[in-house]
Amino acid sequence: MCDSCGCHVPTEHDHTHSHTSPKTVDVHTSLLAANDALAKLNREHFEAMGAVAINLISSPGSGKTTLLEHTIEQLGGGIKIGVIEGDIETERDADRIRAKGVPVIQLTTGGACHLDAAMTHKGLHLLEKQPGGDTIDLLFIENVGNLVCPATFDLGEHKRVVLVSVPEGPDKPAKYPKAFTSSDIFLITKTDLLPYFDFPVPECKAEALHLNPKLTVMDFSSTTGVGFEAWLQYLRDLVKEAKTK
Amino acid sequence: MHEISLVQAMLQQLSDLAARNQATKVIKITVEIGQMSGVVADSFRFGFEVLSGNDDLVRGAELVIITPPVSYRCTQCGHTETTVTKPDCCPQCREVFLIPEGGDDLILQQVEME
Repeated sequence: MCDSCGCHVPTEHDHTHSHTSPKTVDVHTSLLAANDALAKLNREHFEAMGAVAINLISSPGSGKTTLLEHTIEQLGGGIKIGVIEGDIETERDADRIRAKGVPVIQLTTGGACHLDAAMTHKGLHLLEKQPGGDTIDLLFIENVGNLVCPATFDLGEHKRVVLVSVPEGPDKPAKYPKAFTSSDIFLITKTDLLPYFDFPVPECKAEALHLNPKLTVMDFSSTTGVGFEAWLQYLRDLVKEAKTK
Repeated sequence: MHEISLVQAMLQQLSDLAARNQATKVIKITVEIGQMSGVVADSFRFGFEVLSGNDDLVRGAELVIITPPVSYRCTQCGHTETTVTKPDCCPQCREVFLIPEGGDDLILQQVEME
């Protein structure tokens, strides 16, 4: 049992071994079984808090933290936001979010290239101890900047959002399919830079939708605000829907 | 390199499995790594070699990695090609954009132990 919340986290077992003849066991268990079981508990925990959880995945520098800063500024007040920040090192992202006045926890993975359900679980407990951290409507989990590894690990989120910024180029869905097939929302960010880069937005959207026809795709610039309202409205609807459940 | 995390998860599963079966030595492990799972089989094997060296239960065990074929559906003509290596284009109409179907499993299939 988890010692801080009572969640049914698998416990260590005793080893009682004896020598026997060779034996073949058919297992057929996912290597992610332990992670997925914890992710399910996280999801139940988020729901018990009344929070919708969103996992943000992208390459480093595509604008996850900037997206959060602008989202907090414009949604704050009506919707209570909390953030779990994942990075390999430093508190810098958490400092930026803290400056916006919302509860935030920085998880530094110390080298690991992704967050997993166990780290998220730990982050959630730390977040709950922050002022306002136990009454959250919308929880953002900003994953480690990496378009590969985070896609494999369910954190217990309700929605997974993948971001690609205009300077990165339009070929990311084709090159990193797992991030797009496992996501619910695809955000094309930094569209204010479109005049300076060769980034055909319709083609990039079409490629992503070919991979995952269920993707909701949006394009906007957090900095200029052009197209940003669609994202905000999506979040408002998400929180409203969760509250009426 | 999330393969290391997955090897750690597998070693934990093997430890639990050995305890349940009163085994003290794992001889052979068969794992399925889908081509679309986002896991590199060579990195997984490397992680296994490194981590199993410190694990009395698993040290020296044979690791067999199975990569099942994936179906690729052509977005133009709808032809489906089932293969272990991703085709560059559709063999029927030469379209380059093909949608993979399946192949994202990561499964511990079978363990031989004593």
